[in-house]
Amino acid sequence: MPDILIVLSNLSSSSSILAILGGICGGLVVGFLPGLTSNMAIALLLPVTFVMPPIPALLMLVSVYASSIYAGSFSAILLHTPGTSASAATVLDGFVLTRRGESNKALRIATFSSMVGGAVSALALLLLAPPLSRISLLFGPAEYFFVAVFGLSVVGSLSSGSVAKGLLSGALGLLFSTVGLDLDSGYPRFCFGFNGLHAGLAFVPAVIGLFSMAQVLVMAESSHKSIRRVDAPGGLKWRVFPRLSEIRKIKTTVLRSSFIGVLLGILPGVGADISSWVSYNEAKRFSKKPERFGKGAIEGIAASETANNANTGGAMIPMLTLGIPGSPSAAVLMGALVIQGLVPGHQIFESHGDIIYTVIIGFFLANILMGFIGMYATRYLSHITALPNYMLIPVIVLFSVVGSYSLDHSMFSVVTMLSFGFLGFLMRKIGMPPAPMILGLILGPFAETGFRQALILSQGDLLSYLFKSPISLILIVLTILSMATTVWLNFRKGRKPLLAGQESKEE
Amino acid sequence: MKKFVLAFVSLAFLTVGPYVPAAAADWPSKPVKLIVAYGPGGGTDITARLLAQGLEKVTGKPFVVVNITGGAGWTGWAAIANANPDGYTIGYLNIPNMYMGYLDPRLKRAENIESFTLIMNHVVDPCVWTVRADSPYKTLKDLIGAIKKSPGKFSIATHGNGGDDHLAYLDMKRITGIEMNVIHNNSTALSRSQLLGGHVDILGANVSEVFQNHQSRDMIVLGVMDEKRSPFLPDVPTFKEHGYDAQWASTRGIGAPAGLPDAIVQSLTEALARVIESPEHQAKAKQLGLGLKVIPEAEYKITIKSYEQHIKTLMGW
Repeated sequence: MPDILIVLSNLSSSSSILAILGGICGGLVVGFLPGLTSNMAIALLLPVTFVMPPIPALLMLVSVYASSIYAGSFSAILLHTPGTSASAATVLDGFVLTRRGESNKALRIATFSSMVGGAVSALALLLLAPPLSRISLLFGPAEYFFVAVFGLSVVGSLSSGSVAKGLLSGALGLLFSTVGLDLDSGYPRFCFGFNGLHAGLAFVPAVIGLFSMAQVLVMAESSHKSIRRVDAPGGLKWRVFPRLSEIRKIKTTVLRSSFIGVLLGILPGVGADISSWVSYNEAKRFSKKPERFGKGAIEGIAASETANNANTGGAMIPMLTLGIPGSPSAAVLMGALVIQGLVPGHQIFESHGDIIYTVIIGFFLANILMGFIGMYATRYLSHITALPNYMLIPVIVLFSVVGSYSLDHSMFSVVTMLSFGFLGFLMRKIGMPPAPMILGLILGPFAETGFRQALILSQGDLLSYLFKSPISLILIVLTILSMATTVWLNFRKGRKPLLAGQESKEE
Repeated sequence: MKKFVLAFVSLAFLTVGPYVPAAAADWPSKPVKLIVAYGPGGGTDITARLLAQGLEKVTGKPFVVVNITGGAGWTGWAAIANANPDGYTIGYLNIPNMYMGYLDPRLKRAENIESFTLIMNHVVDPCVWTVRADSPYKTLKDLIGAIKKSPGKFSIATHGNGGDDHLAYLDMKRITGIEMNVIHNNSTALSRSQLLGGHVDILGANVSEVFQNHQSRDMIVLGVMDEKRSPFLPDVPTFKEHGYDAQWASTRGIGAPAGLPDAIVQSLTEALARVIESPEHQAKAKQLGLGLKVIPEAEYKITIKSYEQHIKTLMGW
């Protein structure tokens, strides 16, 4: 490890500070706007860093990465529109609080959780990178399959109403995930002659549609009867830090979600969105009052927002030590490293220790600073919810359409978004939750690819291939536990319907 | 009255409608769109942003990289093909990944290679076969021999049906008669972790994706599918040196819609050549492991066309 004084002097130079602050502010804007993803932001900045020295260049990019994932929660909480797909799970509880005029509470919980999650992942990157990156190598096709199955096992518990409707929603999500050219055979599946479908149904427009467009349609439905305003957050009572009682309530959730986020982050392909959903469900499963989730539970916001930021540092672990990026954003970061002449690999900590440690500590600081800047910005931003519906609806529609279009510059994504919006609206009408569908869309390809690859590699002996590794066995046990708790929770809910109803009312 | 309005409107369309190409002499007089058919941060995207920066310096007008993704690349390529041939929309063409879209009869695509004005090739990134550092096979000959002895026991990770890595495998299969299990991943990151974790035996990839792992001895590249050894892997023999005449690469070239006026083709070619030959561009490309290989228009087209039949045979289209 290089001299700590060198690292500190690197960090305290004006160019480093400017890079971190600039990166945070840019990331906040990108994260807030739906459709602008964090890897797009990093890629756009990449040419700028060509002409910068390595330290400020990398500091700026990691700051953008952290703060864009964080700021996805702003629009999720304030507008029912996930700013990045990683914040979709935040919508469930965050927007309920906004509707109650408690957007400040939701935002400060999201901020605190993102800061902790990001900071923990930075520490993991600093202290545990080599051993953790070895773990990612243990995950082969069989393990990926079981990770996906484990993720899907939460479908039942994500459906707050009827389990059957939740399962149906999840199954539809899985079906939608099969659309597109099959990777193995190149055959167009369920494309019905539309060439635009060859890459599959675009995921981000689907999320924006299911959440924001559907929300807009629901809002539009009622606005002609009365102008229902969302309460403006009290300007004077704006709290930057969560109350001690709130921190006590979420502390185990935050710790657990940090762990989940970092662990899933180091797996290539498993992104912040999956981390956020898995940890949301785990928080619900371990909660004493799981019925409050989806009705404004701060643990729900904490789980989702901690995990998606914890994912960022996790994704950089195999990127630095093995040259295997854990997420698309980490892949772009790797490009930036290489351009600066830093070759990823186990030797990078020795050969370029001063730069790497400066960047990791800078990443840690960025995760803390972004919270303060974010809370300052949302104090003003949150007044957007004080707009009456007839003004808020066009704002959300504008964000949704522009967001979907800017993703890949094609109208096809806008059409996808609108279709899912209409579908989401119909689903809300019949009480079918959208969350399982999102999960099916994300995890379907993982489950399918993992299973088919296992089938090829097992050379006919599939069962022993699937069950040979301890990780698979652990995941199978977790899956069974997860499904069993869902069944048990429903059983308990069925027996004590009155009590559950009272609890949700008092929250 | 209605008829009059109709006539008036159609007249208006007739006068404004037909596109009048801007005088080629002053190209470019406004920002140029550079379409990339893949997402931000990918190999093509980074290449494009590197080029755009240079083109802006040389021409004085911004070159804006636009990622039009989807349709296995063809949404973006179709956007290039269907744009106005005025020199203000150009883009990256990826060979051989484009072949599947128009050669596979199941996909029924309207566009093909004739829909483009091919300007020049920019980057050639040869295919390689890589094994783990602790692999018992130290040379390509050892490996092929072992695969031949136990057909169907070895596995190779590649990047999707009909992609360059897959075509390279199919060609080796044709040449040597080897038989392996093929695992397709949609990201090279996943393939690499499958190789390092011992889940697959061979990684089919490109030079720029693995040359650093080879330098750090985390992985060993056994062979390069190119005519000559790669400057990034001087110690790695080519497949040809071992007697296997397989030459495959992922290439990135510049194309424009069909019918681009000759004068603009010439200005564009000159601007591109100036950027690509500049020491700055060469240095950055070297760091990224990008093999620069300028293939001018005519030769570029012949190369693309000559491979079509070969690929149809390999893929059974």
